Amino acid sequence: MKIGIINYGRSNIGSVRSALRFYNFDTCDIKEASDLRTADILVLAGVGNFAAAHSKLTTLGFWDALDRAVMAENTPILGICLGMQMFFEKSFENGEHSGFGWIAGEVKKIEAPLLKIPHIGWDAVVPSQQGDRLFSQIKFNYYYFMHSYHCIPKNPGDIAATTDYSGFRFVSAVRKDTIVGVQFHPEKSQIDGLRLLKNFVEMVS
Amino acid sequence: MTSKRIIPQFLLSGTRLVKGTRFSGFIDVGDPVSQAMIYDAQGADEVIMVDINASAEHRLIDTRLIGRLIEKCRLPITIGGGIRSVEDAERCFAAGADKIVINTHVADTPGLVEDLSDEFGSQSVVVSIDVKKRGDGEYSIHVLSGKKPVSQPLDAYLGRVIGSGAGEILITSIDREGTLTGFDLPLYRHLGKNLPVSLIGSGGAGCYDDIVALFRETSCDACTIGKMLFLRDYDIVRIKSYLTEKGITIRDA
Repeated sequence: MKIGIINYGRSNIGSVRSALRFYNFDTCDIKEASDLRTADILVLAGVGNFAAAHSKLTTLGFWDALDRAVMAENTPILGICLGMQMFFEKSFENGEHSGFGWIAGEVKKIEAPLLKIPHIGWDAVVPSQQGDRLFSQIKFNYYYFMHSYHCIPKNPGDIAATTDYSGFRFVSAVRKDTIVGVQFHPEKSQIDGLRLLKNFVEMVS
Repeated sequence: MTSKRIIPQFLLSGTRLVKGTRFSGFIDVGDPVSQAMIYDAQGADEVIMVDINASAEHRLIDTRLIGRLIEKCRLPITIGGGIRSVEDAERCFAAGADKIVINTHVADTPGLVEDLSDEFGSQSVVVSIDVKKRGDGEYSIHVLSGKKPVSQPLDAYLGRVIGSGAGEILITSIDREGTLTGFDLPLYRHLGKNLPVSLIGSGGAGCYDDIVALFRETSCDACTIGKMLFLRDYDIVRIKSYLTEKGITIRDA
């Protein structure tokens, strides 16, 4: 079982790789679209803004190839933070930009006048369904967030978990078959995060 | 409610961890990677690591150290020291930084905060401001590890960096730094009002009740601690347990 981490120059792949290796998973960096087929499972992380990430992925030939790998070949994928946001139909970060559209819905700025934006820090993640394997055997379900935008799925069935940021409730995890997205950073969330990564890999293997 | 964050702050001289008092008299307090592993295991919420000589020596923090940290630690890492361009920041992120922190070059490089937040997003850009209390009770900003005063008043400077896209503000009281005499509470009480981004208080943490006071009496979202960890008999587990007991929202780990 090989886990391919998409390396497109806009993500902190070192931390993701190091976290997955904690459980001795076999990982590889995917630097070219043609290497996508060498991986059984994909991870798409992301730093920065939506349009910049989209353009990097497109320039490197990843955009269409990823769409094919996930949609036509059903390769499981985990999206982290901006990676998750790109799963949606569109984002309103600095204009309006199209995403992969694997999950119906949009990405919008957190609008809460009394809250500090960006949302930075550790918050509780509440799974939508009891007994969800993604969150099994996790002690506190506290994860690290750093974001100004949040995902709004159209279908409630795609919501895997929500988080209450001082009264502002948003979707912190989505799942549609083997497409899983998390707004937080499991690779930066100590023991709970490591366990969640392990759960994801085992769930889709 | 988002948990208040306890952030060990690592000051680097080259690749060694150092600690001083009011930005001088630095002594070696260990290896940054082994120390970070300890605080990660104890449940620290983040680590901030800054090379205090980088800007004065016109160089960037040694990014190889970041790579060693992310191999061993699973907590968010903020990196600073000599970052003066998008390219410098890119090198830190590529090495594994989650956020970058800028200080000296905010003052001498117009447009730096805008450029970094446009490129990497506000959530990745921390602006650090070092202040000294003047005789008239006002605060003056100093850059280059406290060596060079900046003429702009603190409130105006703060407004400008937030308007430019800073995602978090780290304010260090030079007068309190390394003194173990408690945070400058009036400073944070004044600044914290209506601040639209997270505020990190820094300088002076010396005992449990100093941290309790900061979180009770100001709207700081996080605090950094240094000497009380490196040179006194405190650890993150006991600090968090004490704060929880006092009703402060803290993440269990």
